[in-house]
Amino acid sequence: MTAAPETQPLASVVPSDRREWLPSREYAIVLVLIAVPLLYETFWVFWPAINTAYISLTDWGGGSSKSFVGLDNYRRMPDDPVLREALGNTAVWVLGYGVLIVLVGLALAVVLQSQRRGIGLYRAAIYLPMVFSLVVTGLFWRVLYYPTGPVNAVLGAAGLEGLQRQWLADPSTALYAVMIAAIWRGVGYVMVLYLAGLKATDPQLNEAAQLDGCTGWRAFRYVVFPQLKPVHTVVLAVAMIDSLRTFDIIFTMTQGGPYNRSELLSSYTVQRMFTALDYGYGSALAVVMFLLTLGFIGLYLHRAEPKDVQS
Amino acid sequence: MADVSRRRFLFNGAAGAAGVLAGGSLLAACGSDGDGGSASGTSPGVTSSAASESAPKVSSLTLQSLASDPVPKEAMEEIVALWNTQNEPTLVLNTVSTEIFRAQLPTYLSSAEPPDALTWLAGSVARDYASDGLLLDLSDIWESDFAGFSPALKDLSTDAQGRQIFVPTNYYWISCFYRKSKFEEWGVTPPETWDEFMDVCETIKSKGADPITMGTGTSAWVASNWFDYLNMRVNGAEYHLDLLAGNRRFDDPEVRKTMSYFEEILPYIDPNGRSFGWQEAAAPLAQGNAGIYLIGAFMTTVLPEDVVPDIDFFRVPIIDPAVPAAEEAPTDGYFVPSQVRSPADAKRLAAFLGGKEAQQIWIAGNTSRVGTHPDLDTSTVPEMTKRGIEHLNNAASLTQFFNRDSSDALQVTADAALTRFLDEPGSVDSILTEWQTAAEEVFKA
Repeated sequence: MTAAPETQPLASVVPSDRREWLPSREYAIVLVLIAVPLLYETFWVFWPAINTAYISLTDWGGGSSKSFVGLDNYRRMPDDPVLREALGNTAVWVLGYGVLIVLVGLALAVVLQSQRRGIGLYRAAIYLPMVFSLVVTGLFWRVLYYPTGPVNAVLGAAGLEGLQRQWLADPSTALYAVMIAAIWRGVGYVMVLYLAGLKATDPQLNEAAQLDGCTGWRAFRYVVFPQLKPVHTVVLAVAMIDSLRTFDIIFTMTQGGPYNRSELLSSYTVQRMFTALDYGYGSALAVVMFLLTLGFIGLYLHRAEPKDVQS
Repeated sequence: MADVSRRRFLFNGAAGAAGVLAGGSLLAACGSDGDGGSASGTSPGVTSSAASESAPKVSSLTLQSLASDPVPKEAMEEIVALWNTQNEPTLVLNTVSTEIFRAQLPTYLSSAEPPDALTWLAGSVARDYASDGLLLDLSDIWESDFAGFSPALKDLSTDAQGRQIFVPTNYYWISCFYRKSKFEEWGVTPPETWDEFMDVCETIKSKGADPITMGTGTSAWVASNWFDYLNMRVNGAEYHLDLLAGNRRFDDPEVRKTMSYFEEILPYIDPNGRSFGWQEAAAPLAQGNAGIYLIGAFMTTVLPEDVVPDIDFFRVPIIDPAVPAAEEAPTDGYFVPSQVRSPADAKRLAAFLGGKEAQQIWIAGNTSRVGTHPDLDTSTVPEMTKRGIEHLNNAASLTQFFNRDSSDALQVTADAALTRFLDEPGSVDSILTEWQTAAEEVFKA
């Protein structure tokens, strides 16, 4: 008596029949499960975001008087030399950081994928910086880059005195010096993503290629690499978004200096908002940053979607 | 698997982007929570003797403080404890890190239930809030409690309408600090004129040390010490303050002249200072590898204890004897928001905070600071600080510091211009032109 009704629903657990089967109580639970995050997001993400967009249309110093100025804050942008600098630096940063972290992360994953004794130690060592906060990373690298610090000492010992410089104070190297520190910290994460991707490649396919005489670089390029496609999209998205929101490491290492030469859109936004107390213009910069990020996500979706549908 | 992770990352990405947007308004929104201690509303049971009949009675008062470093924080806690043993209602201390305090200050002042007193800096940075109508007129406690304060301090605390809106409690002096033993070793004495100063620099350099240390890496404002002083020595304090108020131009020939003196000292500055913060730049001075550091007296707090007794200072040398020697004396204190629930209680608190007992506690903990109260017991004050007091008393006039005499927004333009000048003194003309353009943006905003 009890067995029959219990076995029957098993068949109807198939998703297409669910609608008829679900009792109303479960609908309520589903509704709550959707509504709670929605409310949370609305209050903590969407409302502040819309509010920021509104502030970007005002002239506000943080006090009580907030006057509506329309698009004035946006009109100021083309004449702002620091913004031009920050946009240029952000482009260099997104490209440089994005490309390098993917290449280095992939290379490390390929080198460290084999199961040899002690290799876990290497992997752990490379992943370790990921557990440091960016602020700690920044302070650590600041010491490495000291005028009398280890980086210059190594160059001196190697007879490369000509290359010694004040890495963070030199306008031509500051941005790249910070970028290397950021990559050092983030590359372990990319490596782990690729290690997982490499594990998921089809061993039979790899073996078949090997039997057919396809080894070394060619095997990697034409057999393994295409199989990593889903990981590439994830890694690229992570790298792009990470690089656009980079702020803390710039702030601890150079504060955008010397004279704005390492200013990124994010650090400049913070400077305008919280140092100059120009919330209107700062918010306008945040909106621009949001649109840029959105653009990247759109571009990525556009490129990623059709390929995924095929596979 | 790929599909799932892609979506998750996309979602995170979108949230991240929205988070960027949200940052500003969220932080701004937090401000109204800052006075949580005092938000409990009114309590009719508590009466205070000084509160007038019409003023609402409050159950507690809040003091919003940016003194978050251990030593000043401890002194502040002691001051609050003293209030609570002597007075009602209860005073609650709310300490916030300096950066957050600075960013949130406009929100604190304009919130519906603001703190009853806040720590802040004297000068334009305070007056600007008075002209927005955000500060309480404290003229009557100046009449009663602070009548003995120096006229210079009263001027400094007075807004454009002639009301006193600030309670100055302590200040420090900015000078050329050096090690007595090293000067003796190098055979130099503190210079008084510009020519003597150049000679001293030359001698120190010939002994293999860097004559001047300056940490402009993570604290670019340090360069403004030199700019302020050179501009005041060349063009006078009045011109300097006019420039900072936007009534003069940074590409004026007067400023250009100031920069030519700045250029003269460039070969004597420790080049490594470009990578240092102000604290790190004190190390070469302490080690005897650098001769002179132009900075506030607070610099002594980062020196090794055994070096401190060897430290002395001299006045920034006179360039033009016809220009009266002004000195920088950045002044700290308190002000009160205009919207406090009980102005009478808040004024009583302000009078206490500026009073002798509270100041005595403060200078006991912060020995490089000079109290403002005329009746302070200075017997325990270190010898150098006493000379600092004398040094300021002899000044023709007192200024604050670049950002305090203008705004933090203008300071950002100075930082960019001056650090670039340190690197490219040859481009001084274009640097000054760009500085003027950036400054105009600040004054327009």
